[in-house]
Amino acid sequence: MTTIAAAGLSVATPRVVVLPTARVSAPVRLNYPWRFGSMNRMVVVNATSEGGISDKVEKSIQEAKETCADDPVSGECVAAWDEVEELSAAASHARDKKKAGVSDPLEEYCNDNPETDECRTYDN
Amino acid sequence: MAVSTIYSTQALNSTHFLTSSSSSKQVFLYRRQPQTNRRFNTLITCSQETIVIGLAADSGCGKSTFMRRLTSVFGGAAKPPKGGNPDSNTLISDTTTVICLDDYHSLDRYGRKEQKVTALDPRANDFDLMYEQVKALKNGIAVEKPIYNHVTGLLDAPELIQPPKILVIEGLHPMFDERVRDLLDFSIYLDISNEVKFAWKIQRDMAERGHSLESIKASIEARKPDFDAFIDPQKQYADAVIEVLPTQLIPDDNEGKVLRVRLIMKEGVKYFSPVYLFDEGSTISWIPCGRKLTCSYPGIKFNYEPDSYFDHEVSVLEMDGQFDRLDELIYVESHLSNLSTKFYGEVTQQMLKHADFPGSNNGTGLFQTIVGLKIRDLYEQLIANKATARAEAAKA
Repeated sequence: MTTIAAAGLSVATPRVVVLPTARVSAPVRLNYPWRFGSMNRMVVVNATSEGGISDKVEKSIQEAKETCADDPVSGECVAAWDEVEELSAAASHARDKKKAGVSDPLEEYCNDNPETDECRTYDN
Repeated sequence: MAVSTIYSTQALNSTHFLTSSSSSKQVFLYRRQPQTNRRFNTLITCSQETIVIGLAADSGCGKSTFMRRLTSVFGGAAKPPKGGNPDSNTLISDTTTVICLDDYHSLDRYGRKEQKVTALDPRANDFDLMYEQVKALKNGIAVEKPIYNHVTGLLDAPELIQPPKILVIEGLHPMFDERVRDLLDFSIYLDISNEVKFAWKIQRDMAERGHSLESIKASIEARKPDFDAFIDPQKQYADAVIEVLPTQLIPDDNEGKVLRVRLIMKEGVKYFSPVYLFDEGSTISWIPCGRKLTCSYPGIKFNYEPDSYFDHEVSVLEMDGQFDRLDELIYVESHLSNLSTKFYGEVTQQMLKHADFPGSNNGTGLFQTIVGLKIRDLYEQLIANKATARAEAAKA
């Protein structure tokens, strides 16, 4: 007994001929993807570099505190705090870049290509 | 841009051969005539002259306010190289290229941790490579410069840098190595006093979670010995020092908002004429606020005097306080002399162009802009001088 689920028909056939079908290993692409469920496609999340640097800063401060707890004047301690300083500077630069970042894609394009038609300005 | 032609010898006939003099980029073509002994000399000259400016600054690399003001004076906004490594520290505009000296670290972050040295230590930097590449760029040869990625702390693949008209090398050790120092046409040292440094770092880092007042203080204290040993001594070699100190106008101020900034200019530097107030070599103290100009608290105070700095003759122009309004700025500008501006009000215009930059209302922005104009003046004088020298050599 085979039931064809999609059509909702139940066809009772005495004999079922199973044709060898090629198993599709790739994800089945539907013309109307919303129709048969599975809207939960995998979304690629880009970890923002800012979050990454902030974590690095925090970690490096922890490390520096630990290293310096043993010996405050050793080379390791100094190098650890220097790393904290470098990462803090990088974090603040990243923050500034993000703030100053051009949010408008047209403006960004025009900064790079001022001679194109879309970007021509008539000032007089 | 370089207007030099004919570099490949393959295009030339085999009877031609080239020689080039290393110093002035002149290429002489000799054609040997079988019958006569006459020599035809064709002079092809490269009209690109590169000047090298050194800027010693802590924790700033190409993205600092000073760089943006400097490149703005020359015209055009400086941007990271297109299509290259997004974490590149280099800034390129039409006339200027700013190179971050952190790119010449010989040890990356992990190497430094292993060797227990800071980035301030000369052992972490490759001065030979720095000297070779700056020399090459000064002579008009493109270089493959390494990239130090501040985010990952590793040394990335090199990027190609074309020789620009004005090359600025910014970082911790521009004047440390003697050979690099000799290549510099002008050098600047940004000297931030400890109190101001502390106040600025608090402003910068308090927004970061993980940082506290103690950690910021500990970080500054830990780096101080290396800083005093390796970075601070470069002050004596600089042609201009911008010293940033806490204000004297507000008693017991510890916010660091109002600043006292001193521009220490070395006397006798070629093509550099120091800015002065009223008359060169005199001592004068001036408060512009009064009847003509009303300023709000704490006001503005100027000072100008000749002095001695590390056994050099210098002139010191000092500004304490901050600007509130446009007319204060233009009033002050009209009383300063030897600014190397091309038109009346150029300093004010440059300051207003970047009114959102930090330091735009006090001496830091003012003196950075003035130094930018001085460098432009130096560049133009050098070019004019080299052109006349070449013309005379050709005539002779």
